[in-house]
Amino acid sequence: MEIRVNLDVMMARRKIQSGDLAERIGITPANLSILKTGKAKAIRFSTLMALCHELDCQPGDLLEFIDDAPGQGDH
Amino acid sequence: MQDWLKSKSILFSKLGVLIFAGLLAALDIGGWWIVRWFGNLRHLPRQNSLGILIALYLCSVFGWILLWSMWKLLRNLGRGQVFTEANIRLLQRVSLCCAAAAFICAMGVVVYTPFLIPVAAAGFMALIVRIVRNVFQKALEMKNELDLMI
Repeated sequence: MEIRVNLDVMMARRKIQSGDLAERIGITPANLSILKTGKAKAIRFSTLMALCHELDCQPGDLLEFIDDAPGQGDH
Repeated sequence: MQDWLKSKSILFSKLGVLIFAGLLAALDIGGWWIVRWFGNLRHLPRQNSLGILIALYLCSVFGWILLWSMWKLLRNLGRGQVFTEANIRLLQRVSLCCAAAAFICAMGVVVYTPFLIPVAAAGFMALIVRIVRNVFQKALEMKNELDLMI
């Protein structure tokens, strides 16, 4: 079970560079890289809001829930 | 006034470490005469005085390690490096030095019973520093996690 960050996919769709996006949302390129590579432990609402605003998307476009645990959710 | 005191807090702590270093150096230099005077005052046998002298110099070794560790810790704090692995190691060393001094004094109880007082004091100090070290360890874990919150 994990939350996958599809930020790189969205960035490719919007054709935006990491440096530009980091500057626009007000975080460092290093932190954006942590987010892109899925190493982040948490994301602030303010960051998510800024990302959605800049990439013109919904939180669901950036975050995806992967349920690979067997038996969970089966009825 | 309070801001000024806050900004100079580490400086005052460093001054405290230097004062204790001076006292320890004085004890190292005058250890022989101090113990001889004390032995005469308490009418202690010669071998007991020798035992106290050995305990004093053994504790002094750990005292220097402790003061040097505290100096390095204060230097790191002054540089803004607070919750780091290095500081946790330094606190661990301080705690071990206190425990070692308590152990040496415990051995010294055989030659001079009131050594029980420094045993309790150093042992309790070791415990306090150990708890502070545990706090630093937890804080470092939280900081590392917070660093990954974007």
